[in-house]
Formats: sequence, structure tokens, C-alpha cells
Amino acid sequence: MRNANILILTDEAEFGRLLGTCWQTERQAPGITVLGSDLWSEHEEIDHELVVVGPLREGKSAEILKSLAPATAVILCAPADSRELSQLRSRYPRLVHIPLREDWTQTLLLVAGESLRRTEAQRAARQAENKAARNEHHATLGRYMMDMKHSVNNALTSMLGNAELLLLEPGQLSSQSLAQIKTIHNMALRINEIMQRFSSLSSEMQEVETAPSLAENQDEPTPTGTRR
Amino acid sequence: MAATLAADVHLGSTDKSLERLAVQKRVLIVDDSPAQVKLIHGLLEREGYSPIDLNDPRRVEETIVSQRPNLILLDVVMPERNGFQVCRELKASSEFGAIPVILVTSKDTASDRFWGEQQGADGYVTKPFTREDLLRAVRRFV
Repeated sequence: MRNANILILTDEAEFGRLLGTCWQTERQAPGITVLGSDLWSEHEEIDHELVVVGPLREGKSAEILKSLAPATAVILCAPADSRELSQLRSRYPRLVHIPLREDWTQTLLLVAGESLRRTEAQRAARQAENKAARNEHHATLGRYMMDMKHSVNNALTSMLGNAELLLLEPGQLSSQSLAQIKTIHNMALRINEIMQRFSSLSSEMQEVETAPSLAENQDEPTPTGTRR
Repeated sequence: MAATLAADVHLGSTDKSLERLAVQKRVLIVDDSPAQVKLIHGLLEREGYSPIDLNDPRRVEETIVSQRPNLILLDVVMPERNGFQVCRELKASSEFGAIPVILVTSKDTASDRFWGEQQGADGYVTKPFTREDLLRAVRRFV
């Protein structure tokens, strides 16, 4: 709750003051914003984890609730009949009604704490999902690179080997051609070094993963057309 | 065993070409890529070896029977029959098991090497290799 932000919407100053005081005595006090209905704008950006709607001027409750996104966590702390509550709950699944009875502040603090914990858990779940999606993308890229590594190594084998064969026959080539072949050979060696780094990276990643599969060393024949 | 095979051919015939073949060390190159086979062929030929080219791994045994190689350079990832399979089956055979097999492959992880050893391979050369890498591995056997 330490970094939570709570918006209290009420036209009764005492309601806001009382709640604020109660929260200040908590070990982890949230950030609290108190607004009256006259300051509330329908287009106001909501970056609060919880909205507490207290007593408002006549007709303002419906107007304010209508302006909130359905996913907003709302605690309604104002008189409401059962029919009205039923309608509100169908629109706001996360709405909780706390009647203004004795010890309502304690009840509200308990419910608010649970609501904030739920919001925090949902945020953590979303972050984990996003991270999992990013990791999946990285894994796809890594698999593609490893698949391509075999093809690159084969191509490099030809480049290095043929360059070496040509360099073994220096008399057949001009000095300029020899220099160019040496350059090709050196560049191929450099690419090889880069590929070795990819291999090292891959090994490190495989160490992290569990149960390395020997399935790659399969007995099944490689599908026709697949390069080494 | 490889040396014995070569000697058998040498002693069993007076034909000049066979005699020359017996003196030259025959290396069977099995790779489905003609470019790779051609390259290895070129590297070995100029060192005095007699390379035998084969692109179809299904024809390894019949080629061994007809060409009697002293050493086999075997690619791993090939269609129809991969190098691990070929190696394992050769090594399990009483007829071909003594011929040294070097796996020549771009599969370069520790588990790949381990798996290659499990199939009975005598050597392992990873692609890309330099001329010296290849010759060092070949000279261990022939």
C-alpha cells in the first residue's frame, strides 16, 4: 500500500478528513487525494488504484460513477438502495458498498487494503505476462540464430577452405588477387569469431534452462532440404 | 585395420593403378553438400591423399566395399540418414567397424561431441575448420 494512490470523492469535508486521519495512523499510508464533486471533471485522468466515493451533493453520485471506467476499483460509502446498488454492481464489478454505520472507517480501511493488494497482484501478473512475452520473443530470436548458425558455419567452411586452397597456389595469382583473397580469408575468420561468441552465449543460456534435450542428436533423418 | 586393408590391396595385385591406390591413403568424404565435398577433396588431394566423394549417405557401405577407404570423414546432418546413424551402424559392423571415422560437422556443442563419441566416432572436426584443423585430424589416422 506504500505507493498506492487513493482518490476520495466527497462533498463532505468531514468525511475526507476522517478517512485521511485514519489512514495516516496506518503503518503504510497511501497517497490520498480528496476532491469535491465540483472539482471532478469527467475527463480527468485517473491514475489512482482506488476511488472512494463518499457522500456527494444530490444527483452527483450517478454522474461521477458514470464517468469512471468500469475496471476502476470503487468503494461506495454513501446511502444507496438495493436496486441502485444492483445496477451499479452490474456496471462496476469491482464496486464495494460500505454503509455508513458504526465503525465504517475500520471496515473501509480493511476493504481498501484488500482492494489495493488485489490491484497490486494484478499489476504484478500483467508485468509477468509482459515479461514472459518478451522472453518468448527473445527465445524465438535465439532459436532462429542457432538454426542459422549451422548454415553460416557451412558457408564459412567453404569460404575459409577455398581461400586457403587459393593461397596455397600463390604463383597462379597476381599480388592484388592474393591480397584480396587474404582479406576474404581474414573477414571469414572474423565472422567465425562472432559466431563463436553466439555459441558461447547459447551455451550460457542452455545452462540456465533445465533438462537439455538430446533430441537434437536424433536418430531420425533430417528432413530433405535442411542444410547442415 | 585400415593399414591392413591398404596392404591387402597392394600385395594382392600387380596392377600399377591398384598399387598406386594402395600407397595413397584413401579417404571417403560423406557429405550431402557437393560444395563441402569438393572443398575437402581439394584440401586432401594436394596433401597426397586419395579422396573418394560421396553425397548419398545411404551408399556408404557399398562405397566402402568397392573403394576400401582408410578413413571416413562423415558429415552429421544429412537427409535420409544422418551421420550419427551411419557412424553407429559402421562401428557395430564386424566388416567396417575398424575403419576410423571422423565426424565433420557444424554441430559444435559439448553434447554434440559427447553424442558423437557415443556413436563410436574416432574424431570430431567442427565447421568451419581451417586446412590445418582438418589435416591434423586426418593425420592422426592415415
